[in-house]
Amino acid sequence: MFKINRRTFVGGTAASAAGILLGNTLMGSGREEESRVEAEAAKKIDLMAEVKKYRKIDSHAHFGLAGATNASNISYADRLGIDKLVISKPMAPGSKGLPEEFRACNDAIIGAVKAHPDRFLGQLTLNPTYKKESMEEIKRCVDLGFTGMKLYNHVKINSPLFYPIIEKFIDLKLIILMHSPIGKARVKYNAREPKNISIPEDFVEIAKRYPEAMFQFAHTAGGVDWEDACKALQHSPNVYVDLSGSNNIANMVEFALRYIGEDRLLFGCDNSFYQGVGHIISAKMTDAQRRKIFFDNYNNILRKAGKHVG
Amino acid sequence: MLVDSNSYIGHWPFLQLKYNNFPALSERMEEFGTDMSVVSSLNGIFYKNTQFANEELYEEIRSKKAYQNRFIPFAVINPIYNGWKGDFETSIGRFGMKGIRLHPIYHGYELSNPACIELVKMARDRGVPVSLSLRMVDSRPSSWLDVEKEWRLADVMPIIREVPDAKYLIVNLANNVALNEEDTELIKKSNVLMDTSGRNVLDLGGLLKTYGREKFCFGTHSPVLDYATGLLRIESLRPDEADEDTKEMIRSGNLKRFLGI
Repeated sequence: MFKINRRTFVGGTAASAAGILLGNTLMGSGREEESRVEAEAAKKIDLMAEVKKYRKIDSHAHFGLAGATNASNISYADRLGIDKLVISKPMAPGSKGLPEEFRACNDAIIGAVKAHPDRFLGQLTLNPTYKKESMEEIKRCVDLGFTGMKLYNHVKINSPLFYPIIEKFIDLKLIILMHSPIGKARVKYNAREPKNISIPEDFVEIAKRYPEAMFQFAHTAGGVDWEDACKALQHSPNVYVDLSGSNNIANMVEFALRYIGEDRLLFGCDNSFYQGVGHIISAKMTDAQRRKIFFDNYNNILRKAGKHVG
Repeated sequence: MLVDSNSYIGHWPFLQLKYNNFPALSERMEEFGTDMSVVSSLNGIFYKNTQFANEELYEEIRSKKAYQNRFIPFAVINPIYNGWKGDFETSIGRFGMKGIRLHPIYHGYELSNPACIELVKMARDRGVPVSLSLRMVDSRPSSWLDVEKEWRLADVMPIIREVPDAKYLIVNLANNVALNEEDTELIKKSNVLMDTSGRNVLDLGGLLKTYGREKFCFGTHSPVLDYATGLLRIESLRPDEADEDTKEMIRSGNLKRFLGI
């Protein structure tokens, strides 16, 4: 029978599991790398010190999502040591995606960035069905300093309608962040997903067609079968994968490291701020890998267009 | 001091888990400074005869003195499977387990089932808590063989209304935590603790105001969820949301009082 009383309770806290290090080895990494991961893991973590130690660019944030305001976004960011948030306001799911809709969404982001230029990096949205208006909107927003584009599910990422938009973004050296679907774990994608949802295989196809372009596969923690998605995207070097979303299932980050690698993973929250930070802090990796994922990888993307953070 | 109210060992059939045995869970606890953990067996969700899972848990904890000092076992009981009263007696009486975990969604019954109510009353009479999770995994990316149903906080209220004087540990607040005024009052006056692991603990400071600082405790839902997020929600509370006394209550004080340790 287990008898936990106050004496054994306090005494038990001294029991040490030191030396029990089950190597959580990453496929393809060398023994030296494994040892470094293990040695760093053996230290007891001061959680908030660890969180604040890393500079962070949240590669996937929204204005207006579930009532998110500038103030609420900045409040979470301050709490968790997030320096910059890459924000966008995609058009509502199921909307017609008319030019006046995407212009209004972008106006909201222009206002947010103007109000907090030190914290927000703006991403525009558009609908490639309206080519002329979309190209005009790219010019308007990029002239105002926007650093990328976020798209929802009005048109598939590999649709020919997107080709001129992607070619423009290659010229601009800016990244294209595209939403990803819920499910597949149930063989099919979630029934609520529209026919134009971009699935991992669509990213693979378009990335191969445009190897100079930079794509961002959205939110591995957003409800997609993340194992299936990472395996699909493992050989697409110009597809970055963001780890945002509410599903902070253990080992997702390590799995993504194994298949996508430390140079193509991006920290992001999609407004699930605790999970976005927490699962990267929890994951077994080196400090250098965490720095890349929290900050350096995205800053290197921004650097290509000279829009990096100092 | 830090005590985790919500951890597991065992396997999940649709996903490879790490840190799902005592040596590995001990390692995580060591890293994050967790002194003790409430633990139950994931196998108890999937074995038809849940008692085998409780026996495995008992034997594993008994195998090392250190485990006996740092793990607080909860038994998985299925009240619609024959022999459950004996399982309860063995687990609580002979094994000395400190609480019970119910998995109605996986075991195929409602909280209103008379056998479930009888079990909860037995737990109440023995002074042991009843633990319920709003979900075990996110149903969206889980397997086609897994359940799709998840609970909101409101979905567990019928059993609290039915047996209001039992002790309840509600974990993984993954879905809507909004309650009507009557149920909010019931939670406040009942012996209910809620953990910090779930995704809908978006504003712990606000929840402390709504339900009271004595109603929350640290939980990881590990090894299913990452180890850090449930703790991050506590440690990142601002001074105007929680003073150091309140944080200490959430880290360990409330759960120690609840479990009587």
